[in-house]
Amino acid sequence: MTEKIGVYVCHCGSNIAGVVDVAEVARWAGQLPGVVVARDYKFMCSSPGQELIQKDIQEMGLTRVVVASCSPHLHEKTFRGACARAGLNPYLFEMANIREQDSWVTSDKTEATKKAKALVAAAVSRVAHQEALEALLVPIDPNVLVVGGGITGIQAALEIADAGDHVYLVEREPSIGGHMAQFDKTFPTLDCSACILTPKMVSAGNHKNITLLTWSEVENVSGYVGNFTVTIRKKARYVDEAICTGCGVCQEKCPKKVVDDVFEVGMARRKAIYTPFPQAVPNYPVIDRPNCTFFLKGTCKACEKFCPTGAIKFDQQDEILTVKVGNIILATGYDLFDARRIPQYGYGKLANVFTSLEFERMSNAAGPTGGRIFLRDGVTVPKSVGIVHCVGSRDQNYNAYCSAICCMQSLKFAHLVREKTGAEVYEFYIDIRTPGKGYEEFYQRLLEEGTHFVRGKVAEVTNVARVPEEEDRLIIQVEDTLIGKQRRIPVDMVILSAGLQARKDSKEVAKLFGIACSADQWFIEKHPKLDPVATMTDGVLVAGACQGPKDIPASVAQGSAAAARVLSIIGQEEIEIEAATAIVDEETCVGCQQCIASCPYQAIVYLEDKGKAYVNEALCKGCGTCVGTCLPKCISLKHFTDEQLVSEMIGAMWAMNQFETEALEVA
Amino acid sequence: MAAELSFSKEIENIMYASHGKPIKDCIQCGTCSGSCPAVEFMDNSPREVIGMIGANLKEEVLATNTYWTCASCYQCSVRCPAGIDIADMMYALKRYSMWKGQYKEGLIGPDFSEAFVKMIVNSGRSFEPILAATYLPKYSARDIIREGLMATGLVLSGKMPLLPKKVKRLKNVQRMVRRIIPIGETK
Amino acid sequence: MKQYAYYPGCSLESLGKNYRISALAVSGELGVELKELEDWNCCGATAYFPVDELLAYTLVSRNLAIAEKTGLQDFVAPCSACYKNAYTTNKYLKSDPDLAEHINYALEEDNLQVEGKMKVRHLIEVFIEDVGFEEIKKKVAYPLKGLRVAPYYGCQIVRPRKDKEDVENPQFFEKLLSAIGAEPIEYASKARCCGGSLIITNRKAALDMVHKLLQDAVNSNANVIATTCPMCNVNLEVYQGQVNQEFGTDFSIPVMYFTQLMGMALGIEPKRIGVGASMLSLAQSIEK
Repeated sequence: MTEKIGVYVCHCGSNIAGVVDVAEVARWAGQLPGVVVARDYKFMCSSPGQELIQKDIQEMGLTRVVVASCSPHLHEKTFRGACARAGLNPYLFEMANIREQDSWVTSDKTEATKKAKALVAAAVSRVAHQEALEALLVPIDPNVLVVGGGITGIQAALEIADAGDHVYLVEREPSIGGHMAQFDKTFPTLDCSACILTPKMVSAGNHKNITLLTWSEVENVSGYVGNFTVTIRKKARYVDEAICTGCGVCQEKCPKKVVDDVFEVGMARRKAIYTPFPQAVPNYPVIDRPNCTFFLKGTCKACEKFCPTGAIKFDQQDEILTVKVGNIILATGYDLFDARRIPQYGYGKLANVFTSLEFERMSNAAGPTGGRIFLRDGVTVPKSVGIVHCVGSRDQNYNAYCSAICCMQSLKFAHLVREKTGAEVYEFYIDIRTPGKGYEEFYQRLLEEGTHFVRGKVAEVTNVARVPEEEDRLIIQVEDTLIGKQRRIPVDMVILSAGLQARKDSKEVAKLFGIACSADQWFIEKHPKLDPVATMTDGVLVAGACQGPKDIPASVAQGSAAAARVLSIIGQEEIEIEAATAIVDEETCVGCQQCIASCPYQAIVYLEDKGKAYVNEALCKGCGTCVGTCLPKCISLKHFTDEQLVSEMIGAMWAMNQFETEALEVA
Repeated sequence: MAAELSFSKEIENIMYASHGKPIKDCIQCGTCSGSCPAVEFMDNSPREVIGMIGANLKEEVLATNTYWTCASCYQCSVRCPAGIDIADMMYALKRYSMWKGQYKEGLIGPDFSEAFVKMIVNSGRSFEPILAATYLPKYSARDIIREGLMATGLVLSGKMPLLPKKVKRLKNVQRMVRRIIPIGETK
Repeated sequence: MKQYAYYPGCSLESLGKNYRISALAVSGELGVELKELEDWNCCGATAYFPVDELLAYTLVSRNLAIAEKTGLQDFVAPCSACYKNAYTTNKYLKSDPDLAEHINYALEEDNLQVEGKMKVRHLIEVFIEDVGFEEIKKKVAYPLKGLRVAPYYGCQIVRPRKDKEDVENPQFFEKLLSAIGAEPIEYASKARCCGGSLIITNRKAALDMVHKLLQDAVNSNANVIATTCPMCNVNLEVYQGQVNQEFGTDFSIPVMYFTQLMGMALGIEPKRIGVGASMLSLAQSIEK
């Protein structure tokens, strides 16, 4: 049966037309076998552009459509939709990419036009062999998994739970709260961080639609959007949550103290049985097994002895839970840049050099010093403090990006120091970045408070005095660029505004959930401008600092955005799965199971009774690995059959041959 | 028709082998000047000089003593957050300045470098006493005497030979040099 | 005995005499055979680059080419400036074929060609990596107990290293000093520039830098400063007098090459390591 093929060549403004002679390509395509109409148009993806296709399908009875324009990543869906609306099966459509693969990679107009023609010929040849396919509809499980219990994860969980759907909120620390629980005050309002965070934490902890799984980690994820199966390891707390009342006696009585290097950033000690901070949600303690006297030596058990309800259970085991969810939101947050990597700033060597998180803990009223600012000796109040911006950020030697929050954070520190100690504060910056609402006004406030701003990236922090005023002080050596002089400024204390980094296991986590990381290890979003919370993997979203450094307002906004997207998917109840999946020809399949072994998505199963392989279309991602593996060639990929691929190649080669022949004739 | 190159482009061209980022990447953070051990003796800090190059202030840049005061310690290059090899740029400025014969008055550096290279072309090895001719004229009488005493001490302790050494295949080396720049005799 | 292509550099012939003799003596003891390159030329230190970049790399490359001709693997330089020049040139020869082509064109005149295949090492690196601390410890006959040594790395030796921690806070010299029984002291200026290249062209600046270094070492209670480069050694030792005059200080701290200290620890006769009058003041320091 002869097909009626319509070819549409897009100008894409001047993106394609500026290099490719689109009118000529359309004219040339018009004479290809099977092509009944060939047009060129400025913007095929626009409404009039799509209407062109629809009209031709309806009026001319087109049976196949080819659009030569941009990458399918962008508009395959658009044009398939246009075909569908006109009554043509969307899989009878093919795209030729004459932009990313042609006009954007060369400025040679002759070559570009030739290539465009060849690509169109290939598409025309292929599309004639394409078959109508029906997309699979899959139901969406309304349960949602949120990984990470910081402010972003909490926000997302609350939004979804309030809408009536159930959320598993998984957090690897004993309590939710994340980094925000460590802060003292938040900029620019100087709200107490815990005061604005804890109500949300409590809501999340009490919400009937949120199952809080703290001290837990995701171990395995399989499935696809709407139908994920997730294995979660609930680590043993050695405390029975059903009986524990959170009274805290166990912590009081525990004789073993260890340095708390997670929540207190090494500035304070905690017991071997502990809740990380007083407002922890849930308020059940956890036993730090590697440091517990009972687990190490078999003695003590003070907690068990004193627990009024008998909630201590040393024989508790890790629990493995398997849950089914339809969507996953990753909100795993950030790690702080390790300032030890910059030896010239003296962190780790010079006692009174602090990192931002260390200072937050010190300033926090519930922290190691009760909110008072001291030097490391815990007694001396500093009379002058230097705050260093851009530690490990905006630096080709460490992280090239800007960490977004450090300028505001440094200004906040300046205010807190001044307020609590009256000390002289010096801010060492390259630029002051205060773009948010109320941020520039905050900067003004700090100027009015008499903060000394020195524009210069600190070259080094040293304790080697050159003059008597520098004895026993920390000296910040920097060029004051605004006056063009190298200055050595003696201070008592230095705070390093260390940059934000992706979590150190972000690559592994990305792999676990089937998404990708950028070169800087942040999770990659689907589109940085227009789709910052979705990823290339349907059903897995990212929100908050794990997608890139950002402040609390932006994190909360992304948490809500991810929740909205998830609710929209759940609201659709059913979504379409790409129909280009593998299929086994039962008649010829010999049951060797090679395809099953090679499938990266475990999408093929062996049917015992029939002795044949069977592809679970919903799990199949259409990668084609099985097709390549199958020796008897009985497994094929719908929409990418051998016949279709070969005809595509023949189309292109035929065109190239034409051009050569023409060239020889001319010569 | 060749367009006239801007000063900043000229300097970039002279940094032929450098593996650092281009000078125009400078964000003027001041780390270089903050780290520089010799900055107190410079008319302009290294950062200022980069800014001046970017602004095409050729005369001012050539007239500053900054790049002749550079100790080539590379502390700036190591720490620069933009990845610019600033010490290399200082060498480029020295080369430009020598090529144009334009530099601040009273500096020893230009004469010293020229004399050094000539000395190598004539013998292939370094020999301190010859170089003395380049800087002694600029010294005060007291300093000259001080140098003389020190030199005597060095000779007596065997640390300064009285006669210069020469490379054996000197003629080849001279021809080698001439393939790069036209200086030195090849008779 | 492993053989190394040895590039002494101009300074070792003159000002760095003690370095030359102690380096050879210690190498001999430790099984390191230094084969001097035949007919090597001056590496230029910092003096060629102000005149012509390509010439500078070519003159350094001639030495690398002579070394490559010997068929030996390692190019060893005892002077930090020579080391850095050779290392950088060698690296560029490999990564920049354009540069290599220009240089080889010139080298033809001396019937030489260079590939950039030498492994460029500093002498101290050879002792630490090839001989090893354990081996050195075994051969120590007189551990320098109680001798507080300020390890002065100088700026050039840490420059080719791309490992940032090493650049700002190297530790290998301290480890070597510990291996020979001495007590290395911690002081911030250990890898700061001594002003070597400015001592002629800008005496004031250089003396200022030397002054700061000496002050830091002395304040940290060092008995002796150990160096790895003849330029640094001369700057810190010979010009102490001028620094005292300029700044009104009274420094009289001995400055020795690390090979001299190693020689003392290994029990080599003072004459062979150039320790004469300095030995006296050193002994006095130890007694303190």
